[in-house]
Amino acid sequence: MPRRRGPRRRAGGLRAWAALAAALTLAAPPAAVAGETVLRARLNADIVSTDPGVRRDENTDAVLLHVVEGLVAYREDLSVGPLLAARWDVSRDGRVYSFRLRAGVRFHNGAPLTSAEAVWSLRRYLDPKTHWRCLHEFDGGGYAKILAVAAPDPMTVRITLDKPSPGFLSTLARVDCGETAILHPSSVGPDGTWRAPIGTGPFRLARWTRNQAIELVRFDGYQTLPGPRDGNTGGKRALVDKVRFLVIPDGVAAEAALLRGDLDVLDGVLPIETGELKRHADVRLDVHPSLDIYALLFQTRDPLLRDPRLRQAIALTLDIPGLARAVTQGAAQPNRSVVPVASAFHDAVQARIPAANLVQARRLAAAAGYRGQPIRLIANHRYPAMFDAAVLVQAMARQAGIRIDIDTLDWAAQLARYNAGQYQAMTFGYSARLDPSLSYDALLGDKQADPRKVWDDPVARSLLTASRETGDAAARTAVFDRMHALFLQDVPAVVLFNSARIAAFRANVVGYRGWPAAQQRLWGVGFR
Amino acid sequence: MSPAARTARYVAKRLLLSVPTLLLAALFVFVLIRLLPGDPAQVMLGEGADPDAVAALHRQMGLDRPAPMQFVTWLGSALHGDLGTSVATGQPVLPLLLQRFQVTASIVLSAVAIATLLAVAGGLLAAWRHGRVLDRAIVAAATISMAVPSFWLGLMLLLAFGVKLRWLPVVGYVPLHENLGAGLAYLVLPVATLAIVESGVLTRMMRASALDVQRLEFVTHARAKGASELAVMVRHVLPNAFAPTLTLAGLTLGHLLGGAAVIETVFTLPGLGRLVVESILARDYPVVQGCLLFTALIYVLVNLAIDLCYPLLDPRVTVVG
Repeated sequence: MPRRRGPRRRAGGLRAWAALAAALTLAAPPAAVAGETVLRARLNADIVSTDPGVRRDENTDAVLLHVVEGLVAYREDLSVGPLLAARWDVSRDGRVYSFRLRAGVRFHNGAPLTSAEAVWSLRRYLDPKTHWRCLHEFDGGGYAKILAVAAPDPMTVRITLDKPSPGFLSTLARVDCGETAILHPSSVGPDGTWRAPIGTGPFRLARWTRNQAIELVRFDGYQTLPGPRDGNTGGKRALVDKVRFLVIPDGVAAEAALLRGDLDVLDGVLPIETGELKRHADVRLDVHPSLDIYALLFQTRDPLLRDPRLRQAIALTLDIPGLARAVTQGAAQPNRSVVPVASAFHDAVQARIPAANLVQARRLAAAAGYRGQPIRLIANHRYPAMFDAAVLVQAMARQAGIRIDIDTLDWAAQLARYNAGQYQAMTFGYSARLDPSLSYDALLGDKQADPRKVWDDPVARSLLTASRETGDAAARTAVFDRMHALFLQDVPAVVLFNSARIAAFRANVVGYRGWPAAQQRLWGVGFR
Repeated sequence: MSPAARTARYVAKRLLLSVPTLLLAALFVFVLIRLLPGDPAQVMLGEGADPDAVAALHRQMGLDRPAPMQFVTWLGSALHGDLGTSVATGQPVLPLLLQRFQVTASIVLSAVAIATLLAVAGGLLAAWRHGRVLDRAIVAAATISMAVPSFWLGLMLLLAFGVKLRWLPVVGYVPLHENLGAGLAYLVLPVATLAIVESGVLTRMMRASALDVQRLEFVTHARAKGASELAVMVRHVLPNAFAPTLTLAGLTLGHLLGGAAVIETVFTLPGLGRLVVESILARDYPVVQGCLLFTALIYVLVNLAIDLCYPLLDPRVTVVG
């Protein structure tokens, strides 16, 4: 005779399951030792190395700039300010920079900062064997060549250039250059191989468990600059004992971790995910305009797109504000200029966005001899905004009878096609560049020598050189305005928008704030 | 020749025959990964990289040498147990993939074992109650589990047990040898997801085999002798119906041990599958080559192990050395 499970037995079963669940939950590693504050933030991929500015990507830069610091760094308003240098003097001919180091700064190993470490660090970067990302900027191929690095006294570093260069300091401060961080020589082994960064930042690197987590510990001997948080320069106070970056590739899993309380800060939220997050009372959002650029690139050497009238026609089909709104759920700022909206150089001239004009677009396309030939537009799914923008470009161009077919590639393949210039059109994203000269430099150049360059206009190239040779803001604005006019006329690309950097964090987290450099900063961030 | 000697000879012969298979697999992987457009140096240095820096990194990675020379060098090193160094992280490939394999193996072995147990029980029950409500319910459940994508099921379990009920952690991984309790807590959801997804097809296979065996005369004879239904199903039907399910379980095991990339991504587990996917996206040639060669080896070994299990289940099957 079959036996029925009685209510008592069912209750016993439930209790057993609850006990098992409780045991497993209790067995999970504690978020922190009692009394210790740990801020947990998400990385969408692991860091590449711990060698700043050498083996790097965006995540690597963001993590390591909590650990290391340069002589100068970017402020909140994207101007360059002192960090390890207390001040600097420039010689009359603009070629010699003398940096006076801040007194009292110590490395994570307790050693005091002197000019010896600064000279050692700079010479290491200038050694081609280091493979520093920004070496080409200082070996004669970029702004200016560094001829000598010297230490006239224990607290002064002297850098001699071959020619004056207003962009010198901003290049030193670049995030992708690792801020040209000053490191202690024991960061490398006796044979010069990289060990671990011994820097001067508010946190020191404690542990890197590859593909899982990076743990930073507060450096109690840190000497912050006075004042509030200011870009990567001042107010770098560590408000927590530890920062733990958790590598969580999947966006939904990261969101679940935030909602459950396993994560405190979730940076790089996709616009489409914000709707769900807004519904939770214990989650806050931080939306900040970025300096990156999303654009529709044309290959101006393509037999079909060689005619600027066809490129102008496609540009005229695009409702840029509508496209930006649709792709980013209204988070991004529409922009037709290479100079990002958040830049101080984005003036009224750059802010004007030509309206879509389908009649004029048809007329120009016909004048260019366009007869409905398909134009192949490359996009990818790794960056959803690029794919979504491609779909909208396709739909908008169709209204003027211009046929666009989308080829979806993986990111590495698209990057290879971009670098080789092998495409008709592609939607592409340029990471944040903190100076408009750098933004233009990404697009502008000799296609023969460098096929990835999108715009090969001799007048614009001379203007770019002029923009680098002056430090006067008004003069530079005028140069950028002229370049913008040329860019709109020639249409080698259509800038679509500058995205917004969206971060979500738990309601008990205080002090989190994004900034245009789109780099996660966890100093000055703590718990309520 | 004794059975043990025959088995040893058989194993040696199979392992020897697997050498050309592995060599061919190595060649295919080497060629195919290089046919993909994309350059590891470019991916590593990003969109704004200086072409000279890309070329220098190319030289540093040894990618400027002719492809046949790269293959011969790599194969020579591989034969000595050195699978090269990751171009993205600079880590030696062999320790890296062994470390990742431990994670994958802990999930996959548990999941396939649970899925097989579920399938045996479910398949036998369904065959025993053939055409009745229980049979239909089991078939429906198996069909649903086959149809549900693993990423969706994983996310649903994660939201239910992690976010809503807060019983289990949602992201992270703790090795079992470091903390058994915490390690198990992190494995429950991925193992449950994989077990549910994989149990469907195994259950269908077990049910079909059990139905075939039930129709045979010796089963009728056993029933006629008065054996209980439990005894008939367990002693007579199960051993004779299990071989196809075991083969399928072996194939599943081989396939999943090569990496359960989706599950590993959803649950943020540092396993072999995620390593392969990340390496392909980064065009990290040595890691992709190492992982896929390792996967091929796992396939060979799992299949061999399954073949050696058949004589244990069915005395009529013998190993011919």
